Amino acid sequence: MHCYVRSVYIDRSVAKRRTKAPAKGRVVLTRGRKRVLVVPFVPSVERDGTTSIDQERWVDATLEMFGRVFGGATAYPKAKGIWRDDEKGGALVRDEPVVVHCYTTPDDIQDDGNLAELGAFCRTMGREARQGEIGLVIGDEYFAIHDFGEE
Amino acid sequence: MNTQLDMDKIAKGLGAERREKITASGGYFGAMQILADIQARFRVPSGGGRPTDRGWTERRLLPLAPRTLKRLEEITAKIREQGRVNVEPMQLAALLLEKTTDQLSEDDAEKLIRPKRRARR
Repeated sequence: MHCYVRSVYIDRSVAKRRTKAPAKGRVVLTRGRKRVLVVPFVPSVERDGTTSIDQERWVDATLEMFGRVFGGATAYPKAKGIWRDDEKGGALVRDEPVVVHCYTTPDDIQDDGNLAELGAFCRTMGREARQGEIGLVIGDEYFAIHDFGEE
Repeated sequence: MNTQLDMDKIAKGLGAERREKITASGGYFGAMQILADIQARFRVPSGGGRPTDRGWTERRLLPLAPRTLKRLEEITAKIREQGRVNVEPMQLAALLLEKTTDQLSEDDAEKLIRPKRRARR
């Protein structure tokens, strides 16, 4: 079987010039890679499905928190979403959430202090934006926060 | 991707309830992520030209199979059809390469290295 290969130019981001050679070729692999994706959803309306919230403020606050705690995040353009409120007879709440992506390390996402800060932020957003649930995807699992009580 | 996370610890630390496993890396959702990434990052250079990521200043030759290039051309053609953004096949390749490199774990990287070491013995 023939395998044809074509060469083309691509762009790539600037790599920092290495000043010291890595020992035995392993040093570059010893630091934790940012391989865990954390995805919070920033809602656009309150639980009633009609009252708008200050979404821009909460997107900025989310980015600021992820930047400070986990080193960075990206907010995507508005999406369209729907959520079934089982505590209100299965009423469907339609909104336009902003999805934020944050890549972090396993150590950082499992750090007690970081988890406490992330949880506290989600509870504050849930409470002040009058949400029924704050959803968060970490790795390959969805987490739901319902109890927005202050600690 | 094997993340080996202690999900119970994470749920407890967050004060959250574990719901269900999800896969969000492929299919339509994955494609939309790529599209959103392109829209968010690609900017038209001040001197004109096609939109690009300003951080991409290095250029290298990349060998690839015709079927890979064809697939990249198909995806970028669909993006252009939707009128979202004018992205070229190799810009998409660069974006995918960057994302994959960022997500490559230490274990994944070692698995890539290991077969070569064995072959040398």
